[in-house]
Amino acid sequence: MEQVIKISELDKNFKYQILKEPGGEGLLKCFACGTCTASCPVREVDEKFNPRKIIRMAILGMKKEVLENEFIWLCAGCYICQERCPQDVRITDLMGALRNIAVKEGFIHPSFVAQIDFLHKFGRLYEVTEFDNKKRVKNGLPEIKHMPEEIQKIFEETGVAKFVEGEQ
Amino acid sequence: MGADSEEKRVGVFICHCGLNIAAVVDVKKVAEWVRKLPHVVFVRENIYTCSETGQAQIYQDIKEHKLNRVVVASCSPRMHEPTFQKVLEKAGLNPFLFEMANIREQCSWVHGHDKESATLKAFDLIRASVSKVVRDEPVEKIRQEVKKEALVIGGGVAGMNAALLLANAGIKTHLVEKNPSIGGHMAMLDKTFPTLDCSICILGPKMVEVGKHPNINLITYAEVIDVEGEVGNFRVKVRKKPRYVDVDKCVACGDCAEKCPVKLPDEFNRGMTIRKAIYIQLPQAVPAAYLIEEEHCLRLKTLKKGGKEVCGLCLKACERDAINFDDKEEIIELNVGAVIIATGFEIYDPSQEPKYGYRRFPNVVTQLDFERILNADGPTKGELRRPSDNKPIKRIAFIQCVGSRNEREKGAGRYCSRVCCMITAKQAFMIKEHEPDVEVYVYYIDMRTAGKGFEEFYQRGRKEGITFLRGKPGKIEEDPETHNLILVAEDMDTGVLLKNEVDMVVLATGLRPPQGLVELAQKFHLSRSEDGFLMEAHPKLRPAETPIDGVYLAGCVQFPKDIPDSVAQAGNAAANALGLLSKDYIEMTPLHPVIDLEKCIGCGLCEINCPYKAIRVVKTEKGKKAEVIEIACKGCGVCGASCPEGAIEMKYYSDKGIEAMIDALLEKKEVEV
Repeated sequence: MEQVIKISELDKNFKYQILKEPGGEGLLKCFACGTCTASCPVREVDEKFNPRKIIRMAILGMKKEVLENEFIWLCAGCYICQERCPQDVRITDLMGALRNIAVKEGFIHPSFVAQIDFLHKFGRLYEVTEFDNKKRVKNGLPEIKHMPEEIQKIFEETGVAKFVEGEQ
Repeated sequence: MGADSEEKRVGVFICHCGLNIAAVVDVKKVAEWVRKLPHVVFVRENIYTCSETGQAQIYQDIKEHKLNRVVVASCSPRMHEPTFQKVLEKAGLNPFLFEMANIREQCSWVHGHDKESATLKAFDLIRASVSKVVRDEPVEKIRQEVKKEALVIGGGVAGMNAALLLANAGIKTHLVEKNPSIGGHMAMLDKTFPTLDCSICILGPKMVEVGKHPNINLITYAEVIDVEGEVGNFRVKVRKKPRYVDVDKCVACGDCAEKCPVKLPDEFNRGMTIRKAIYIQLPQAVPAAYLIEEEHCLRLKTLKKGGKEVCGLCLKACERDAINFDDKEEIIELNVGAVIIATGFEIYDPSQEPKYGYRRFPNVVTQLDFERILNADGPTKGELRRPSDNKPIKRIAFIQCVGSRNEREKGAGRYCSRVCCMITAKQAFMIKEHEPDVEVYVYYIDMRTAGKGFEEFYQRGRKEGITFLRGKPGKIEEDPETHNLILVAEDMDTGVLLKNEVDMVVLATGLRPPQGLVELAQKFHLSRSEDGFLMEAHPKLRPAETPIDGVYLAGCVQFPKDIPDSVAQAGNAAANALGLLSKDYIEMTPLHPVIDLEKCIGCGLCEINCPYKAIRVVKTEKGKKAEVIEIACKGCGVCGASCPEGAIEMKYYSDKGIEAMIDALLEKKEVEV
């Protein structure tokens, strides 16, 4: 991060963008008490994930820093923070909203890119090889064929296709 | 009275005060020792002497054991001396044949680390009280007629409410206001938190009611200059400055001000607009009349220097013939039974802290300045424009705790002024309501929003998109070209350093005691707290009373508070005043000095030292002698202490009584712990 951040260079509309995204409605209620971070099992093992700080950065308009960072992808979705938040910010839902915005704006975690590639290529999260099919037949199971066409259609419709390697 | 001849039968009541005393002092042992003291015929231990049972027991024991002197060893006399004196009266004893030994505040609470010594000290304190009580003599009460009129000083929201309550209860009430109109600070506010009522819309009708009330004598443009007397009978002198405009004839049309050539900064708009030398304080002024400011009027200035009758444009412009250059200052003498002081506050002047650039940078304003900018009668007619170039505001910052919570400040600057957080929340919200696209940043230490509807209002502000940043800027810099302001502050929630260029900065300034409060306090012999505001009789149980009987406090003159709290305290003050004024007579026990004319040499030291003008030296057949003016005496004892001949004895606090206490304290103890 830069040593001094100019507020004029931050995105003052980012917070309103989040409010409009399903799940993000509670953002501005946050008064930074830190109950979420204190309750978070992910934060216990990885200091990169600090929900209080992510929310504050979002309110300040640090859009690039929030969306480009891998931390928004670290939420395990356990809902403990959401249960305990005294201002009903609905933090787990908010993290989902932030990820949705990130995807729309072209930011996605590399681990998800790999998964998308698999889905796009094979229609499933792993490749079924010839070796697999031989073993299946031997055990009396039918062969599996890759049928990625329908998934690819969904990818086109939802805009996920742009993340597929070599498709952009 | 036969105080010397009768047998002295002292009863001593030693209090455990739950464990407040008993956990440290061995009360049982003390009681054993006290039983052996001369004149002590009865000793009782109580768990709570001040309880109803405890009081009833004292009464019974006085009767049963024929006690004629009583000592209670318990807490500070400040709280319960009157409680026990009443028991004595009920049992037929003079209430001054009584002593209280403070074995709690002055013993158990401070000596918890050394129980043995504390037990011995408790015995000493009781022994001293017993020595004095046998030398005490009865003091007779006198009756003082209660003058059934009241004086309220200060015509802000607190003073007005107090005056209305008294007047509605049928009390003739004089309301003295130093400004030309009543209304105070509240009249300057645009809206009030958290309900966003238009301030003047809710205050204006009250102002009119005060102005028209048959029981209220409104004296504006005036100040209290002298106070004499005491509870039930204060004699107050008020100086009313000349207005040079007849209030009854003036219809506030403003023709005069249009013609007046003298332009001055308008204080009501915090100097951001111009007024004339003949002016009206605010459009809703009560009384609704113009006045001429003596110091600035060309004609009055010239006349004062012995010159001719110059200018006179207002005189010609006024169709109602309301202008009177012969108006004179008036001294009004009031005689009232009770006084309520409601002189409010003034705001901190942030130009004392150069880092904020107030008065150097045109776009740095205080909250009170900004109220006027928000107001439809203000310099921008309620539009969000900044002072330097009248351009619309696009980005604005508030800085909290300016002149508050600052240990480098004295008095009121050291603590939280209680109202500034909510004023900022309100003003920020008003900005969003006027112009939702304006970016609003609030730099704070803690947002303090305790009060009915306050927390909800703060949340509403956050939801409107106001950005609250924990962390204060170190200073404000100005871009000399654009007059924009640059703030650098740490956002403590993210740990980043943020640089913010804004069009305008509002400083959340704390509250301070008003000018002239020191002098007013001296006139009434009132104490001030460490912060400079007036001190109440008890911070919890008697918040609207003062240690001076018949003088009450309402509003910010006691401590910074918001409008609901000011109004509530005004009610408390009025109820106390009514309690007093509902009596025809009050009984007083004047602890006056008694002068031994044989010893008095007429030196006059007592007269010089008396703060109440209650003692004077007069010529008698035996030469010059001191004489007490009983009605003015407050019994402070300064005369007695200053007399070089020992000719002045105070009632109850007699020299022989005090000396006996000292002797008893120093006497060797024949006891073992």
